[in-house]
Amino acid sequence: MRLTVNGNPIELDADPDMPLLWALRDLAGITGPKFGCGIAACGACTVLVDGTPVRSCSLPVGLVEGEIVTIEGLSGADGLSVVQQAWLDEQVPQCGYCQAGQIMSAHALLEEISDPSDDDIDNAMAGNLCRCGTYPRIRAAIKRAAVEKAKTGA
Amino acid sequence: MTVLARLLTAAVITMLAASPVHAQDAPAVDDDAIAVDREKGLPEWDKIVAVLSHPRCANCHVEDAYPRWSGAHYGTTRIHAFNISRGEDGSGFGNAALRCTSCHFSSNSSKLHGPPGAPLWHLAPAEMAWWQKSSAEICAQIKDPERNGGRTLDEVATHVRDDPLVGWGWVPGPGREPAPGSADETFRAIERWAAAGAPCPAD
Repeated sequence: MRLTVNGNPIELDADPDMPLLWALRDLAGITGPKFGCGIAACGACTVLVDGTPVRSCSLPVGLVEGEIVTIEGLSGADGLSVVQQAWLDEQVPQCGYCQAGQIMSAHALLEEISDPSDDDIDNAMAGNLCRCGTYPRIRAAIKRAAVEKAKTGA
Repeated sequence: MTVLARLLTAAVITMLAASPVHAQDAPAVDDDAIAVDREKGLPEWDKIVAVLSHPRCANCHVEDAYPRWSGAHYGTTRIHAFNISRGEDGSGFGNAALRCTSCHFSSNSSKLHGPPGAPLWHLAPAEMAWWQKSSAEICAQIKDPERNGGRTLDEVATHVRDDPLVGWGWVPGPGREPAPGSADETFRAIERWAAAGAPCPAD
């Protein structure tokens, strides 16, 4: 089957029932999305499909319709995305395992709501768990990224 | 087109396909128009409400903003985890960056406690609430075009028979009790109930 991941077409020989996460990590070598729970209950595997965050551990690859973006696809020739830079500036990660998924959800939130309130952040991010408890820094980074995006138009 | 716009467009297409008659055009069910046979009709209604009030249906037909979880593995019914709600926009599809469709795809997860799935997974509108409603309350709602999506009873019946998200209730995936009967049996019960004048229980 053919997928488009981070702007690149890739051919995979995958069972349609294989979770997208397996296809990305084991077949395509794209290891930014992480395996956490395997039942869409933690958010570590979050990627975007046509801009919508999805839990790739539970999405059969045969059901994917649209362009996939992983954490690897957020940065470009200009360097890190605004959200990734805000994550560094706020020193969000502790162990870091969940952070790729957190950043994908935060990116999607800011694409829909440019200046999110605390409630908007709670509503968007509650499906991404962080066992290190970095939530206050995640909130700060999203607010910082919103300000930076407004300045740069990124 | 934004993510939400795409979801809403798909939902509108589904709704139009399911209910070609608009609310203002739909004839209200009038018990006087058809001779009401309570003896025939109420046993059929009992079959219907057993489906509508079943957790596979009622858990997402809620009056507030929060879908419910229930089943053998959950103990008492509880509010869906992850701060999931109807959505600030009232669409029923969740909130920005955490739509129902972030986890609920067009088919069930094969894993116990994995996300169930069917096309266009979303909460029913609040006016279609069944959770913790009495049989009489559900009966009044299902007959009211103002609160049933502008459907005649024939359209309610075909919606129950044909809509993929409704049909999920009978094939809910591992670890979940299906709704009683089948989509086709429920369709036929609604047809027989309507033919008997669609009587509602007293309470």
